[in-house]
Amino acid sequence: MSGPEGATDGQVVRAILAGDTERYGVLVTRYRDRYARYAARMLGSRDAAEDAVQDAFVRAYDQLAQCRDPDNFVGWFFLILRNRCFAERRKSKDVAPLEAAGAIAAAERAEGPVEADERRRALQHALLELTPEQREVFVLKHVEGLSYGEIAERLKTSVPSLKMRMHRAYDRLREQLKDRP
Amino acid sequence: MRTFRAFLLLALVGGGTTLRAQDISTRLAGRVSPEVAALVQRLATSAAARGLPVDPLIQKAIEGGAKGVPADRIAAAVRALAGQLDVAAAALTRAGPTHPDTDAIAAGAFALNAGLNDTNVTTLARVSGPRHTEAATLRVAGTLAAMGVPAAQTVELVTQVIEAGGESADVLALPGQVSEGVSHGRGVTPAQAAAGLARAAAARANAPGQQKPKPPHP
Amino acid sequence: MSGNNFHPQVKQLLDGEITLADLPPALRAEGEEALRLLAAVDREPVMFPGLDTRVLAKLRRRADSPSFWRRLVTPREVRLRVRPWTLVPAFAAALALVLVLVRPAPTPATSAVTVRFVLFAPDAHDVSLAGTFNQWDPAATPLVRTGSSGVWSATLILPAGQHQYAFVVDGARWVADPGAPAVDDGFGRRNSVLSL
Repeated sequence: MSGPEGATDGQVVRAILAGDTERYGVLVTRYRDRYARYAARMLGSRDAAEDAVQDAFVRAYDQLAQCRDPDNFVGWFFLILRNRCFAERRKSKDVAPLEAAGAIAAAERAEGPVEADERRRALQHALLELTPEQREVFVLKHVEGLSYGEIAERLKTSVPSLKMRMHRAYDRLREQLKDRP
Repeated sequence: MRTFRAFLLLALVGGGTTLRAQDISTRLAGRVSPEVAALVQRLATSAAARGLPVDPLIQKAIEGGAKGVPADRIAAAVRALAGQLDVAAAALTRAGPTHPDTDAIAAGAFALNAGLNDTNVTTLARVSGPRHTEAATLRVAGTLAAMGVPAAQTVELVTQVIEAGGESADVLALPGQVSEGVSHGRGVTPAQAAAGLARAAAARANAPGQQKPKPPHP
Repeated sequence: MSGNNFHPQVKQLLDGEITLADLPPALRAEGEEALRLLAAVDREPVMFPGLDTRVLAKLRRRADSPSFWRRLVTPREVRLRVRPWTLVPAFAAALALVLVLVRPAPTPATSAVTVRFVLFAPDAHDVSLAGTFNQWDPAATPLVRTGSSGVWSATLILPAGQHQYAFVVDGARWVADPGAPAVDDGFGRRNSVLSL
């Protein structure tokens, strides 16, 4: 994978490990936004996501000698970010708690921009109620647009177990978003 | 470079370990220092070559990282665990006749860590038979030892229950029964509760009309 | 409860394997509900301009020599002082309970068991559970304070088998479950053992 600088990830990593440490900036710029959306949907907050991505880049720098496949730096970086997202404490949810009943009932009426926004927030709120594993498979498929096969390869798991996780997520989301008495 | 040497070692050990190496670095990414990850890699590779389970080593490293333990302490703990796996494997091999499975080795290491010795492990493996896997027997024994039942009593109790014709569920129920004996009796120690249960099992075995199953031959 | 579960065919719709037209008429409404759920997914790209500058600035700040290269992040050393919890004597024997709520009948297939973890810790600000079932992540499984009695609890569904765990109090104190069998964790502390 090469970028505007022309050098492949592997070339840049090897140069850094050989002592040209300033070149880490190439990798950071190259992948700065690659998983920003994934982190934002996993953590429910843009600010928390920015912290997580920043931390992951610092950690990746510290552990760069451990990167087994420097040509796939981005895949290895994703795993570091993923571990960081899973470890994130949810001290407070930035997404404002909503009356979810009202949010989905809006779909019965004509949908304007305010209703659409409320429904987005209701779903993000509901996503945060899932386990990190359930939320992740949902985000990778329905936000990042990966196929089950691609997700399975990235997470080193099987398609059937991903589907089981996802189908539980669908049910829990439905439960969260239904009218509450 | 270190990476190249590690790769060479993997290539020597065999193709099956290449995938495992990826799994290991995936699971350790961002959780432990590079030095610890490299050590776990090395220990896991040689452990796998000796037929030992690898997962406990990775789990222990992850545990140390999560607990904020200094790298050299994690390294020491992972090395110690690798040693326990070796001792357990040897103890199980002495019980014969086939090469021990990784579950049993992991359970044996757990039992050793809980306070049993390698002779205890061999004895417990010998009394296990078709109805009682070595792994299950050793896990129960380790749990009893972790509850404070002395090693000798632990081996005695588990052996009695198995030789009295107990089912696997009977063996699995032992920790709960010892715990109940301790909480319901006043001032009853785990050792005493275990001894009481062993006597009861022996009495059942010697009751008239009771068929005592032939103990398995090592 | 099955009343809240999507029909399996609707799940296929959600997975993108079939279309709304493929659903039988009886499931159309549920299918439309499912599609509305997906329509609420936020797919807006997210960008962090300036993050690269901040990362590099942070790395440069840490360097204290011209050679810039720092190989190791020194891990924090957590010193755990386990103090006896101040308790009314009647509760002393019930510091922590692990209640196995539902034990399924023994079957050959691997089963899952519902387990409730309870810790009495009135002075704690937060309590969580870390163990082999959640990669020892102290942030993954918080306990919830129930009422004002200082009791913290969490209910988990765990696979059958053997697990090791400990409670983490206020993010830093690792406390073994006083009511459970304990083993040396290799780091100078004790882990609790749970066999399901």
